[in-house]
Amino acid sequence: MAASYWDSTQRKYWTFTKQQLSVERRKLEEAERALVLQFPLPDRRLLSIYFYHQLAKLARPLGVRQQALATAQVYVRRFYTKVEIRKTNPTLVLATALYLACKMEECPQHIRIISAETRHCWDMPLNDTSKIGECEFTLISEMNSQLIIHHPYRSLHELQAQFQLTQEENSLAWSIINDHYLTDLPLLYAPHVIAITAMFLAVVLKPAQGGPQLHAAGVATALQTLGNTRQTTAPGAQNRIQKLVNWLAESSVDIEAVVDCTQELISLYEIWELFTDKNCKDQIAKFVKARGLDK
Amino acid sequence: MFGGYSSKKKVIERYKIIGFISSGTYGRVYKAQGKHGQVGEFAIKKFKPDKEGEIQYTGISQSAIREMALCTELSHPNVVHTVEIILEDKCIYIVFEYAEHDLLQIIHHHNQVTRQAIPARTIKSILYQLLQGLVYLHKNWVMHRDLKPANIMVTSAGKVKIGDLGLARLFYKPLHSLFTGDKVVVTIWYRAPELLLGSRHYTPAVDLWAVGCIFAELLSLRPIFKGEEAKMDSKKTVPFQRNQMQRIVEILGMPTKERWPLLASMPEYPHLNSLASGNPRIHRPVSLEKWYEQNLRNNRYPEGQSKDSPGAEGLSLLQALLEYDPQKRLTAEKALSHPYFSAHDERLKPSDNCFEGSSIEYPNRRVSQEDNDIRTSSLPGTKRSGLPDDSIIGRPAKRLKEG
Ligand SMILES: Nc1ncnc2c1ncn2[C@@H]1O[C@H](COP(=O)(O)OP(=O)(O)O)[C@@H](O)[C@H]1O
Repeated sequence: MAASYWDSTQRKYWTFTKQQLSVERRKLEEAERALVLQFPLPDRRLLSIYFYHQLAKLARPLGVRQQALATAQVYVRRFYTKVEIRKTNPTLVLATALYLACKMEECPQHIRIISAETRHCWDMPLNDTSKIGECEFTLISEMNSQLIIHHPYRSLHELQAQFQLTQEENSLAWSIINDHYLTDLPLLYAPHVIAITAMFLAVVLKPAQGGPQLHAAGVATALQTLGNTRQTTAPGAQNRIQKLVNWLAESSVDIEAVVDCTQELISLYEIWELFTDKNCKDQIAKFVKARGLDK
Repeated sequence: MFGGYSSKKKVIERYKIIGFISSGTYGRVYKAQGKHGQVGEFAIKKFKPDKEGEIQYTGISQSAIREMALCTELSHPNVVHTVEIILEDKCIYIVFEYAEHDLLQIIHHHNQVTRQAIPARTIKSILYQLLQGLVYLHKNWVMHRDLKPANIMVTSAGKVKIGDLGLARLFYKPLHSLFTGDKVVVTIWYRAPELLLGSRHYTPAVDLWAVGCIFAELLSLRPIFKGEEAKMDSKKTVPFQRNQMQRIVEILGMPTKERWPLLASMPEYPHLNSLASGNPRIHRPVSLEKWYEQNLRNNRYPEGQSKDSPGAEGLSLLQALLEYDPQKRLTAEKALSHPYFSAHDERLKPSDNCFEGSSIEYPNRRVSQEDNDIRTSSLPGTKRSGLPDDSIIGRPAKRLKEG
């Protein structure tokens, strides 16, 4: 993917180890102990699913590209590593992240269009464009103007050519990449590691198994296959999976990282079962209303 | 949101404004010193809200967003260094390292004050540094799109720095063509022929054409293709830049399908033939060789090959940069290994101080004391090139009314 990722602010300032990430988050929570205790929230991944649904509702009628949506999700995730969510109005943060992401991804939307669209798509609309404008300052400032995001889509595109992925495999890999934005993975691994994980899962799982949501069980099988790579390279590869496994074993790709990404995805698909829109919405509404954050 | 935005950093707490430098297309630039022992001097570019005296947040223009993001991301000795970005009071301040000179000012000094050519070694070093900066940008998928003498900074230590990334863009991004959004790109004199002919798929090669024009200007002290800009008409359609294209053809001759296979597929190609009618100079172009010879003679560069003359290799490089076909035009990387840079230099590489061996003193950048209050300055800054930054694309305006 060219030299650019290696020198990027994404790699230098926005890629963490799991420990670092949990330390940062604990710091935020400890600074606002009372708030955190008073307003319990669903699991972060469930909130992410909710955020994604909200963003998608807003983005769809505007014809916003997937990549801008992904960028917006990363902005939201970065922002909430710096600012305690209970001190913000998430609705405003979401709309602003999308507004900013559209500009960065070269599909700009007018601020008034975004604000008008929130009235159509959300039942917690934003009435004031200047609020979005102000929140934009907050977002940019918290991200230190580091707005360029390297996505796995581009790496996938290169892998697709290299491994001659079928149309189905490619679109399954693409949707796995879409799903990874619901987890912490964008803050933990380089985009090409995510792309390799997505490709691997897509090939192993066979599109038939991937529904709108992949099954945790299917991914677990894939994980086993992956586990085998770590032992030996099977000579005389018979099929594509074996070829892929061999390639992984011989390449400099960090297999542990791919395994870990796979596990993160499994637990996402497991917890997804528990998701209800309403629960997230209500919990958020509680602290927003109680603290007048929507004013 | 929690009591509104408040800046963690304040410009006037961190910097002492020494004076006002320039009012550009976006806002204003000031010269400053650090108040907390920051080393060196600074140029602070202040972006204003679109509307004068705006008391509400209206959203940051797309070009300002691009510039902030790229300035933060990029770091190279030949690209102006961004120290920090401060968002305060609805304004954006980008703090750059200060550069005492720029190529426009250096050219002007030679042309108007000393009336002497720029030393051949200086030119060589400038180009070499400029190209290194450009290799870096292109490697990182960034097209500058607005290279011109005023945007090439030179520090008092002779370091060349590419500035003004306001029009720069990442070129792996576009799913729809780069042409949408902002239609007018690159100051017209430095605009590549494929852009003049309406190409929608332009490439980093546009920057190399501009480098060719800048090289020529350093040698002759005048813009090589000084066309008159055709303004946008009331329908906001982009006009064919007939006069600019004419200027190019008068020197280089008509582009041909033989030398530029995709020529005929350029949207404005039909206009090209009409250029010739009634303009005899088009039929008898000067040719770049002649132009080069004449200008070298006029500016008294010694004949033959030596370190005091750009020589035959200079012409060869210039030709390769001012190549009509963008696919054949030199890339920044290839340009760096052109023999022009290794000829007549025992170290095989031009100096990284463009003033080395030159005793010419250039005046310092003018800094005015008027209106140097960075917080309240009142002269309007026009919006960049009138580009529709937040243009509403592909969306009916209907919703707006409903809302
Ligand atoms: N780093 C710098 N050091 C000194 N002067 C600068 C610097 N950057 C910009 N300037 C001055 O400000 C002017 C406008 O800045 P520029 O970034 O080129 O804005 P514009 O977008 O209007 O072209 C420049 O022509 C130059 O005179």
